[in-house]
Amino acid sequence: MVLPATPKSWYLPTKPHKFCPGCGHGIVLKALGEAIDELGIQDKTVFGCDIGCSLLSWNFFACDSIQTHHGRTTPVMVGIKRARPELITIGYMGDGGGYSIGSQHLLNAAVRNEKITVILVNNTNYGMTGGQMAPTTLPGQKTETTPYGRDPEITGYPTKGPEFVAALTSDGAYVARGTVSKYKQLKRFIKNALQNQIEGNGFSFVEALSTCPTNWRTNAQQTWSFLEDEMEKYFPVGEFKSPLGKGEK
Amino acid sequence: MQKVIEKAGKAFLTGNEAAAWAALAAGAEIMFGYPITPQNEIMHYWTRLAPKYGRGFLQTEDEISAGFTVCGAVQAGKKAFTATAGPGNTLMQEPFSMAEAMRLPLVAIIQQRGGPSSGTVIYSQQEVTLTTFGGNGEGHRIVYSTASHQEIYDYVIKAFNTAWKYRFPTFVLGDGYQAKMREPLVMYDPEEKGMEMVKPYPLVGLEGKIGEGREPQHLCNIYSMEEELYEVVMKFAAEYEAIAPEVVEYEEKNCDDAEILILAHGVVSRAADDAVKALRAQGIKAGYFRPITLRPFPGRQLREVIAKSGAKKMLIAESAYGQFDRLVKQEIYGETIPIYNLFMPGVGIIDYDIVNKVKSIL
Amino acid sequence: MLVVNQAERVVEAFIGEYASGKSEIAINRAVELKRQGRKVTLVDLDTVEPFYTLRPIKRKLEDMGLEVISQTREDAFGLGETGAMLNPRARWALFNEGDIILDVGYGVYGARTLNLVEGAYESPHLRIIAVINYTRPMTGSLSRIKEYIKELGRVDAVVANTHLGDETTPLLIKEGNKVIIKAAHELGLPVDYMAVDKRFADRDDFKDLGVKVKFIERYMPSAMW
Repeated sequence: MVLPATPKSWYLPTKPHKFCPGCGHGIVLKALGEAIDELGIQDKTVFGCDIGCSLLSWNFFACDSIQTHHGRTTPVMVGIKRARPELITIGYMGDGGGYSIGSQHLLNAAVRNEKITVILVNNTNYGMTGGQMAPTTLPGQKTETTPYGRDPEITGYPTKGPEFVAALTSDGAYVARGTVSKYKQLKRFIKNALQNQIEGNGFSFVEALSTCPTNWRTNAQQTWSFLEDEMEKYFPVGEFKSPLGKGEK
Repeated sequence: MQKVIEKAGKAFLTGNEAAAWAALAAGAEIMFGYPITPQNEIMHYWTRLAPKYGRGFLQTEDEISAGFTVCGAVQAGKKAFTATAGPGNTLMQEPFSMAEAMRLPLVAIIQQRGGPSSGTVIYSQQEVTLTTFGGNGEGHRIVYSTASHQEIYDYVIKAFNTAWKYRFPTFVLGDGYQAKMREPLVMYDPEEKGMEMVKPYPLVGLEGKIGEGREPQHLCNIYSMEEELYEVVMKFAAEYEAIAPEVVEYEEKNCDDAEILILAHGVVSRAADDAVKALRAQGIKAGYFRPITLRPFPGRQLREVIAKSGAKKMLIAESAYGQFDRLVKQEIYGETIPIYNLFMPGVGIIDYDIVNKVKSIL
Repeated sequence: MLVVNQAERVVEAFIGEYASGKSEIAINRAVELKRQGRKVTLVDLDTVEPFYTLRPIKRKLEDMGLEVISQTREDAFGLGETGAMLNPRARWALFNEGDIILDVGYGVYGARTLNLVEGAYESPHLRIIAVINYTRPMTGSLSRIKEYIKELGRVDAVVANTHLGDETTPLLIKEGNKVIIKAAHELGLPVDYMAVDKRFADRDDFKDLGVKVKFIERYMPSAMW
């Protein structure tokens, strides 16, 4: 069997990984692994993962890693960074962890310009708990808790994370939204977000639009179409804020 | 850098200040906190003092965050702590349970205020259950209940050692009265006194190249199978029980011939001590027993006191409606000594209250 | 504007480090003036923790004939979380007739708290007096006392108030106050007096330090439950 090339910073004893077939997490984590390799930061990186599908990334890397609680990855990474500023801290979470239960932490870490990197995977639902509505569920989208489709009159409109993080952060912050359908761009955004932390500029945040065929109940073609035709229309992709040079829209 | 404790001799302090100075003297490197009365001066004094001694502080967005940032900082290998009270203690149970699950040397100072809910900002002993057995865990925590400013100072220093030595989250349980009262105490540098301070060490962010001399550290608190969790909790329970005899602390006075035993903890034990003296002066043979560690609890010692005194009655006095009482009863299950109560939730208890109660039950 | 005709009124604000004895000194001063037959208003300006300072002994002080402006239990009701608030009567305290004694709480703003009292800084009578206790760690050495007083802003005089509660000894009083007097001297500030617990009133050796000695009553221990 010929295996595809894997990033050096991946932890091979835990491969193949446990994400569902067609899940976008693997693509985000590959981009993150390659970025870690290229920046040469594997030995001083601490990776913290939230509860939910993000948890499956816990021992994904050959980097020191910590499981936290649902929504609480941001403050744990803040604590590590404040205690040991020389470490590179990456908080990895889903849309529920970042925008719902942990939103006060994300918001305040952004306002304080904490010098950590947060990577948030947006797949428009709570995957691990069985496909409930997330803050990012699109209007009309069916989930286990919106069986007739999300009605914005009742539940509001989907959270636009990078937009609010960009609005809250001050100079030095890096904010972008990528998508697993544009791998090279996503990897560039993640690498920029890490570079921004290495330079000590400020808070770094990347939302990655991702896929969840298991809970969406979609085949490959439908999955990709939902990502590119529905999600990317609602959630514009690009850099919202970058101290590293000219922002890319 | 300036020495933390410059001169020997007594100083005149509030309890909150004593806690801040003790954390400095213990070598705490960073505090994370969120304002709540009556613990605020711990933060006020820490933030005044910390920059002079190269220590850190972060005011977080809430108590949940304060607890989790402490978890992160201790995992990164720094002596970190927080302080809270009442509703803040409620919110911190989530990070405290992570500290329990991951055996993190978290130190928290709790200045109890009235409850339930926002209650009063002033005083109570109503955070006993929360601090000893809060969270979704098994109470694998160490809780020191202090009664004076000297003890706040001594036990805050000790708490850092206990936490880093045994790796169970460690609490100094005070209250609003102790927080705000003023009294003299001796502040000292523990190392100059010959105390060995346990050195902190990191769990993540270790030295060395991964794959060439060290493995990556993957720290978890969630398990796939019931049996995996069972193994972990049973191991922690066994370790906790093994260290308990070394950790347990208590105070006992006039118990050998006591007809009535008076049990209290924290600041109320000062009233109990005075009450025993007053009762003895009136010819009533009263004895005094005070657990200093509420977790682990000096249960064996209390049973021995009951046996050797042959006391006929026991009075439990607390500024709560039975939280300490439940703790005592579960620890001495099977004893047949009749137990009486003086429950005064959220208000102070003085010797007079206890003396009157004793006379009413004799 | 209300005209207050009181040429010889006393307006004194006691400021200083947390738990330095400001309230005790302020109460004693108010009682002293009252005993001279003057009309005296004592104002609790502790904005940081109004529910732990004068409030518990307000009634007792009023029974002694003092006007007391502070929070009462009734005022406090419903203010659950509050640690910092200003009684509106305190804002206008200087418009009361007679002598005004202000007990200013601690805080990083020092004497600037007096900005909250209408007309305080314009008053020709105002004297701002720093109360210093040598056993307080932040004012526990010559350099720390000087550093601390400088941080306070305007200070007109110092009261030396070294004590250790029940464990006070005459030796400690003398040793501590000697340092405070030296610090005040080096800062060019007068020492109004040193305050000594009246249980030492039979001793006459405190005068050796060269400042006036006032023997004071301790009211505050009864302020905590």
